[in-house]
Amino acid sequence: MLPTLRGRIETRLFLIIVVGLPVTLLYALFVGGLPYDGGLLLMLLGVLLALLVVGVILDPLYILIQRLRWDRDWPFAYQFFFSIIEFVIVLSLASLEWIPWLDEFAFQRGETIRLASFHFAWVFLIGFVLLLGPLAVLFVRWRYKGGRFGRL
Amino acid sequence: MFRVTIEASDGGSGSTLSETRELAHGDSLIFGRDPGPGGVTLPGQGVSRRHFELVADAQGLTVTDLGSTNGTQLAGVGLGSARITTGQRISAADTSVTVRYEEVEAQTAPVGPQSRYITPATPENNGLPPDIPARGTVDVSEVHTGGRPVSEIAYCAIGAGIGSFVWIDHLRCYGVHEDDIVAIGPEDIPYATYARYCANSQIPDHERLRSNSASTPDNIWGFPGYALRESVTTGNPRYAFQVFGEPTLAESYTPRAGRVFRSFDREMKRINWSRMFRKGLVQALRKTSDGRYAIYWRASRDVVPEEQRNQVTLAKIVHVSTGYPATRFVDDFQDFLGRHPEMRSLVANAYEPHEHIYQKIESSTEPVNIMVRGRGIVASRILQRLSEARARNPNIVILHSIRSPIRGQQGAKYGWARRPVRGHVELQPFNWPKASWGGDVRLKYENADAEERGRILSQLGGTTTAERSDWIAIGERGGEEGWYRAIFGSVKHIAVRGEKLGIDIKTPDGFDQSFEADYLVDCTGLVADLSRSLFLADLLNTYELPQNHAWRERDGTWQPGPRTGLEVSNAFEIEGLRNGSGRVYAAGQVTAGGPYLAVDSFLGLQYAALRSVDDIGANRLTAMRPIGPARSAIQWLRWCAGSTP
Ligand SMILES: Cc1cc2nc3c(=O)[nH]c(=O)nc-3n(C[C@H](O)[C@H](O)[C@H](O)COP(=O)(O)OP(=O)(O)OC[C@H]3O[C@@H](n4cnc5c(N)ncnc54)[C@H](O)[C@@H]3O)c2cc1C
Repeated sequence: MLPTLRGRIETRLFLIIVVGLPVTLLYALFVGGLPYDGGLLLMLLGVLLALLVVGVILDPLYILIQRLRWDRDWPFAYQFFFSIIEFVIVLSLASLEWIPWLDEFAFQRGETIRLASFHFAWVFLIGFVLLLGPLAVLFVRWRYKGGRFGRL
Repeated sequence: MFRVTIEASDGGSGSTLSETRELAHGDSLIFGRDPGPGGVTLPGQGVSRRHFELVADAQGLTVTDLGSTNGTQLAGVGLGSARITTGQRISAADTSVTVRYEEVEAQTAPVGPQSRYITPATPENNGLPPDIPARGTVDVSEVHTGGRPVSEIAYCAIGAGIGSFVWIDHLRCYGVHEDDIVAIGPEDIPYATYARYCANSQIPDHERLRSNSASTPDNIWGFPGYALRESVTTGNPRYAFQVFGEPTLAESYTPRAGRVFRSFDREMKRINWSRMFRKGLVQALRKTSDGRYAIYWRASRDVVPEEQRNQVTLAKIVHVSTGYPATRFVDDFQDFLGRHPEMRSLVANAYEPHEHIYQKIESSTEPVNIMVRGRGIVASRILQRLSEARARNPNIVILHSIRSPIRGQQGAKYGWARRPVRGHVELQPFNWPKASWGGDVRLKYENADAEERGRILSQLGGTTTAERSDWIAIGERGGEEGWYRAIFGSVKHIAVRGEKLGIDIKTPDGFDQSFEADYLVDCTGLVADLSRSLFLADLLNTYELPQNHAWRERDGTWQPGPRTGLEVSNAFEIEGLRNGSGRVYAAGQVTAGGPYLAVDSFLGLQYAALRSVDDIGANRLTAMRPIGPARSAIQWLRWCAGSTP
């Protein structure tokens, strides 16, 4: 990938909204059934928001790493690796109770961590697969725009 | 001695000439647009400066192509060198030359050259057919009464090579009907010119190109890329994984030439290329009084009777992608060929056919020294081919001529990053840093002014090769075993020493060194000089079109140097040709130095196509509109199904 800073942020937002939200709704439905388990849904949405915030904070750092690379690219392997790192950071921050909108005790319990991990796995894998090419099927110009949407 | 009668006629302008010459055994005679003293000046567009030569010996005459752009054909077959019998016809581009000869007594008084042009080219119209007006704008009624058959079309692509194909593929996916498009070019198949360059520079079908998986000239979305397709059809997941890990954890994936060609075949069928294609060469383009363009062209003799070959097409939107104007011979090389035409078979430009050299050195049992000049990707391919030849003749020694050594920390620098170096060659997966195609470098470069573009271009450009373990091993193993030797310095002079070539080199520290070689393969490139194309030269002159420049740093300031490509807007429009709602766009090497670095690459051609097709839609020049997500997805599904767009 050849993301720019604005491209990273736009693509991140896009994936959270277009992949993250529906996957979260489906996942909560699958785990908790109907009617929705409000606590679970709120927790997963909270994790999603935390992922977005942590990601946006880290994006400038990734851009710095890109600048050190001659090709100024971002290998898919890095994308894969750092996405997982971002999730680990969110879990750690949550268990330290540093994320105000997440339940103080939730991430000190194995069961919640397991649920959040599976939820993340789905959100992440679907988004990652889209980045490998399918996103360009909908947005022909996206790959030339460093990950931004719209006209060239 | 032979008396040689030469009759030439140029299909393009209708010029003809007839001449008689005497050739003693051992004499040679050079034919071309500007063959030098004593040579035969051939009329016709597409004839190279020195196109081919005839050499006489006791048995008869031999014709040898001199690395001409459009090649030399004997009885319809392209050639490097061949014997001819009397009365045979040689073709050089659109010009055909019939040579008759007979043995005569040596005492016969020589007959002086008698050139005679029936329709001489006038200087005012650059050798174009006289019916093409020299003015910038012609009246449509004049076009209709000019005597050429007229056809009218909405979109016309000039070149019919890969750039044209990609542009038309975009138009078709954007919903333009096949009957509204034509592509005019000399090759039936869009990748023919490219495939010829590949074959000559030793990239057979099974070899891999220097192109990324998502650079897919047959698919506007870049998905599925070639890696995924190769994994699916071979059942081997490693190619897809290569894309995942490249370029840090795995060598960059590149597609096999043959697979790319087959993908073209499939897409050609899908968009109905053969229906849109017109075989011929474009002579000139003129604005018309009704906001269109008149494209004067000459149809190939394969498809129309002789008297109907000159045609004119009126089009509203035109696209120019005519590729490289010529193969380059560096000055010392050109100079050597001029002095020693008889040594022609010992020296070759890597982009011209030179298979005979490999055949010779492989079948020889003697020691052979071969010098390879240059350190780019083509040199790597030639070195690879030579190392394969060593399996047949282990006495081959490779002398690799490189201008100056480059150590680890001397690679090009841009910002905080430095280009890696290995074996005195700078390494880069593709011909530009990847972010030039779509990352921050593309953005920064597009937004820069001419000077800053020039600076970025010179910082990021330069000769590089791909990091391939087999290529690195050739230099390292060959160096240890003594059959590969890197020679630093610039070539000063090439001469004949007995049966061999004598090559004088000035080393970086100022010493003169001399080497002997049996063969020399020059890998220093292709000429990008637009004025070498008659069509472009006329366009530049008629409309005084501005050109880009290569910029150079001198005494701390950056200054414009030699001219490069045509100046185009960020949407690849040649603004100097705008005519009401008529537009001319360009792509490929002819736009070098313009708004995008990697113009001469598959993905660069796709980018240029997208920009120009979007521009047509956004400005409502025709009924076509840019595609959004829904239409894009539908078109993609059609692509997958193989159904017409
Ligand atoms: C050896 C080599 C290897 C390359 N490898 C790669 C690679 O691996 N990956 C990559 O992305 N890019 C590669 N490129 C760069 C680029 O993608 C190709 O050169 C590509 O073919 C360029 O397309 P084009 O349309 O500009 O030119 P071409 O495909 O050459 O088409 C131009 C056509 O216009 C015709 N023409 C010229 N004058 C006229 C006229 N007056 N009227 C009508 N027709 C005319 C020519 O005969 C030619 O057929 C390579 C280039 C070379 C030379």
